[in-house]
Amino acid sequence: MSLVGKEESEKNAVAHSRNGRPFWGRFSSWKPYQTLLRFITASPRRQFIILAAFPILWLLTQHLGPMLQMARVSVLDSYPVAPGTPQYLTLDNYFRFFGDHIFWMPFFRTLTFAAIFTFCTLILTYPVAYFLARHVSRQNQMLMLLLLLIPFWVGEIVRTYAIMILLGNTGAINLALKWLGLIERPIPFMYTSFSMGLGIVYLTALYMLLPLYSSLEKLPKSYTEVAADLGAGAWTRFRRITLPLTIEGISSGCTLVFLISTGFYATPVLLGGPSTTVFAETIAGFFHYAGDEWPTGAAFAVIMFGAALIITGLFQKLMKSLRKGDAK
Amino acid sequence: MNRRNRIVLACVYWSFVLYIFVPLILMIMMGFKNSKFIGFPIRSWTLDWYVRIFSDTEILYTFGFSMFIAISSTLISVIIGTWIAVLLEGRKFWGWSIIFSLMILPALVPGIISAIAFRIYARWLGIEPGMGAIIWSHAVHNVPFVTLVVMARLSTLPKSQIEAARDLGADPLMAFIRITLPYLVPAILGASVFCLLLSFDDFVRSFFLGGYEATLPVLIFAMLRSGMSPEINAIATVALVLTAAIGVWAERFTRRTNRGELS
Repeated sequence: MSLVGKEESEKNAVAHSRNGRPFWGRFSSWKPYQTLLRFITASPRRQFIILAAFPILWLLTQHLGPMLQMARVSVLDSYPVAPGTPQYLTLDNYFRFFGDHIFWMPFFRTLTFAAIFTFCTLILTYPVAYFLARHVSRQNQMLMLLLLLIPFWVGEIVRTYAIMILLGNTGAINLALKWLGLIERPIPFMYTSFSMGLGIVYLTALYMLLPLYSSLEKLPKSYTEVAADLGAGAWTRFRRITLPLTIEGISSGCTLVFLISTGFYATPVLLGGPSTTVFAETIAGFFHYAGDEWPTGAAFAVIMFGAALIITGLFQKLMKSLRKGDAK
Repeated sequence: MNRRNRIVLACVYWSFVLYIFVPLILMIMMGFKNSKFIGFPIRSWTLDWYVRIFSDTEILYTFGFSMFIAISSTLISVIIGTWIAVLLEGRKFWGWSIIFSLMILPALVPGIISAIAFRIYARWLGIEPGMGAIIWSHAVHNVPFVTLVVMARLSTLPKSQIEAARDLGADPLMAFIRITLPYLVPAILGASVFCLLLSFDDFVRSFFLGGYEATLPVLIFAMLRSGMSPEINAIATVALVLTAAIGVWAERFTRRTNRGELS
């Protein structure tokens, strides 16, 4: 495969150079280019430094910078400060979190909801991924996967809105139930943890499906066939072979979905109600005002990120130990 | 037994497809409903809502604004993401894994926290909320996706091609410009489409870093909060068609280039 590909692209390269030689030839002997080249490639060390300097600068200032600045603001007593007033370092912002149940209730609710929704997504998408990887011909696999991909290119807000239309009091489900004569008054699906869960599972399903699919697809069919020949039933084959060998996909899918669902803001605002306030809404609340509450908001964001990292870290460790236990 | 399993699984797959598609189809249908009231049943149909949004300059402006943000942030992420990928792929040096984890960080931070962090940082840098801040935050957020895609492609570049170019007298820079870059083009294109979609659909960063001008998702969000207007269906449908069309085109494009290589 790669050999053929190589020949093909080598042919291309030859064709290119035949067409392009005058321009590129002139370009490579152009004075400024030569100076630049000599400057860059004076030594392997300098070449590496020139290649690495900008990315490292970017990563430190743009990727790490915002997180560090958030952590710094979280231990300040006020931010932004009027010029001339002294700033103090304090941990009060963190203590405020434990002081009031309107702060820590949404926090634990978010983590519980995220865990439950992640589990629901896993249960929902595993059979789908299994079907695609095991029971569909290669040609159709791509098409059927693409069919599922299309709606996922549509944004978060549009899909949340679509769920609102589905579940509303005059929505499709209530209309269908009424038409069937099952209910007389519409069931209030909206603004509950059910509507929020349905929405979040709807938004995150793909992030679970893709890792599961790729780990199931890698698993050779012969493994389960051998087990079947040796007399293992369908359930045993699944539990002893398929499940342990796809733990990697399960672990990365769950981590991804958990992290994403803790970070949702618009979906809980639109689909949830007062009894389902999530921590993202609490954090956002501190940023809607002029700015004197920013340190508390930053501290809460740090708490949430820390908690999410610790939970996913522990989860991955657990998955790893499960995998090792099975290998024995 | 196997046959029954297969039928059950097929049913699960198709119900999943229904779950994914039905809400969107209902939303599209709602955009053609001839009534101010959102909800079922639909008794008569109309195109009025589309006529209305296409003659509303504010909504058209928002479409353009969102697209401008998506294109500019994509350009930045693609250049920087590719640069980082070239640095990381196939090289071993002290601190490689630190750089890799820093690179991947923005993709792992949950949405709300990333938006808050960008907001605080923008304030510290003195960037006013508005277009520039949104472009910057989208660009930073999308870099990891570009880097991962380009690294995957770069790892399949046969080393012999670079060596051949060097043997034929190309200097390292020329070998990079004329061998490596053209080889990376499909990956770069695929990554740019992905970034375009991510940026066009992004809500949370645009919401917290935006000024008075809203991007499309922020506009829809504001309309939803202030009460449902039937125009939302039409706007959302146009956004859906745009993103799905770009996505399908990109998917076909990458599949075609992959197939061209295999055959």
